[in-house]
Amino acid sequence: MRIALTPFSQHLAPATLGAAVRAALGQPLRRAAPYTQLLACGAFQLLLPAERDMPFALLWQTTRGPREETLALLAEVCEGSGEPMPYDFLATQPAIAAAQLQPLLPGLAHAQCSPLAHATGADWQSLLTQAANWLVHGRYARVLCAHIDASPETCTAHWIKLHTAPLEIGAWHLHLSNNPSSDDAPGIADTPDLPAQLVSASAAKLALHSRHAPYRTVEFVRSQPAR
Amino acid sequence: MRRAVYLAGRGIACARGLSPDAVAEALWQGGYAPANACAATLDHPYFSIATLQGNWRQRAEAAVRHVAATLGPLAPETPLFFASSSFQIGEFEALPAPRNLPIACASPSLTLAEWLGLNGPCHSYATACTSGNAALMAASEQIADGLIDEAVVLGFELANRSTLAGFIAMGLLSPDLGRPFDQARNGLLLGEAVAAVRLSAHHGDWQLRAQTMGLDAHTLTGPTPDGSRIAALAVDCLTQVNLAAADLDLVKVHAGGSPASDLAEARALHTLFGADLPPLLSLKPALGHTLGASTIAELVALTACLDAGHLPGTAAFSHTDPEIGLQAQVDRKLLNARHALLLALGFGGGMGALVLSRRCALP
Repeated sequence: MRIALTPFSQHLAPATLGAAVRAALGQPLRRAAPYTQLLACGAFQLLLPAERDMPFALLWQTTRGPREETLALLAEVCEGSGEPMPYDFLATQPAIAAAQLQPLLPGLAHAQCSPLAHATGADWQSLLTQAANWLVHGRYARVLCAHIDASPETCTAHWIKLHTAPLEIGAWHLHLSNNPSSDDAPGIADTPDLPAQLVSASAAKLALHSRHAPYRTVEFVRSQPAR
Repeated sequence: MRRAVYLAGRGIACARGLSPDAVAEALWQGGYAPANACAATLDHPYFSIATLQGNWRQRAEAAVRHVAATLGPLAPETPLFFASSSFQIGEFEALPAPRNLPIACASPSLTLAEWLGLNGPCHSYATACTSGNAALMAASEQIADGLIDEAVVLGFELANRSTLAGFIAMGLLSPDLGRPFDQARNGLLLGEAVAAVRLSAHHGDWQLRAQTMGLDAHTLTGPTPDGSRIAALAVDCLTQVNLAAADLDLVKVHAGGSPASDLAEARALHTLFGADLPPLLSLKPALGHTLGASTIAELVALTACLDAGHLPGTAAFSHTDPEIGLQAQVDRKLLNARHALLLALGFGGGMGALVLSRRCALP
């Protein structure tokens, strides 16, 4: 099975996040943390309208996690005089994003947040491996993978959509192997902006260099015209 | 050909004991009183690990070292799959404002790995109460695909005021007891647990036969009332391994005493089994709901009980709710279980189902 990849990146100023959500969804997303709003924007960008009702999975990682939400909750609990507001507690739980997204994206069948342990780098290796596994075994026809981070200064989302649609010439597809990379494909770092690197890369083949799970070779290969 | 995944080792520290055998014995004896013993519990009934002393970090290290003591020998490069819903927020509570949190939100997993003697890859999962299911599934898939031979899956939830205050604010807690499926159920009681399983492609008496996860976002905190999505998830899990509901000897239910979630789960069980229900066991009245650690803690506790040939009774159940129309297993009994279904539900609509089979019962 050939797994097609669609990379996509989005950088937003926090003040424009709400407008971006309204533009993407046609409605505001009320009482949603920035990471949830970023997830909604990206999923709507990557899924065709007909795909939004069909089963898909969302695997997302984050370096900062719900940092601002956690600080707000800590202030309420430790310095405040009463119980926190329920939503302020829920916002510290990344799992809540799925519940806010499923009414908008009825096909969302599984969502999983993987917080990262290191301040630098990412773990696309694990996300892509797990997503490919589900595609190969027919669990889903589409899996969205993302790295999401929101801070008071900027909101950043990097995405890769994995699907089994026919490949367009020049588009990336995923090659997984349990053996070491067989040729001299240039390396690409496992960093949050991997999708942006794929968009700008000119190579025909790239090998993912990751600190995580070094036991599987992950390569990105551009599809070539049939001969 | 995908490889089988076995349970090769386990460890636990929870309110009922500091080893799998101690927890199994306590469950067999039937005690279930909450044991408040740490400052984080806000004078609310709570299942603390009363024997752990000191500040958050000291308690965390002691708990992890208790778990490591019974987990069996680990190669240092063994990957760690870490599941939690609160991570280290309990430690942050002791910091003066303004708090300077680490940049990477899962950074405590590296410290926990070090306490376990591990220096391999470390992956974290935060899907609220189903975090353990996500971690188990990711680790199992890597073993099944031949990428790794062993993995440690660690569920971690230590007492903190933030989580307890959040649950109080949402009105989800019982003022006294968790009563799964009971007519008088009035909410959950929380607890703390640190528990781990060592998964292996080769060794172990229990096989993790099938795992599925799904999403039922009827509300932020509760499933669709008719239980249809929970039932569909369980059927999907059984279908993966060609088991029928009638093949199950036991269901370890999620139920902890929540009026709405217990009802939805009960309706799912009616759909799945009809009138012929196997024993239903809830461990939450005895351990508390240990949130991100619950799947692993309850897996460890359950297999420890079953290895002793014991099915403990579900504590605090006394009156059947006519709307629910079923009851948990109240009386303890001897049981040679071959196949068990374990269910988990969580905030955000997360659902997890797991089929566990005794190795000697497999062809």
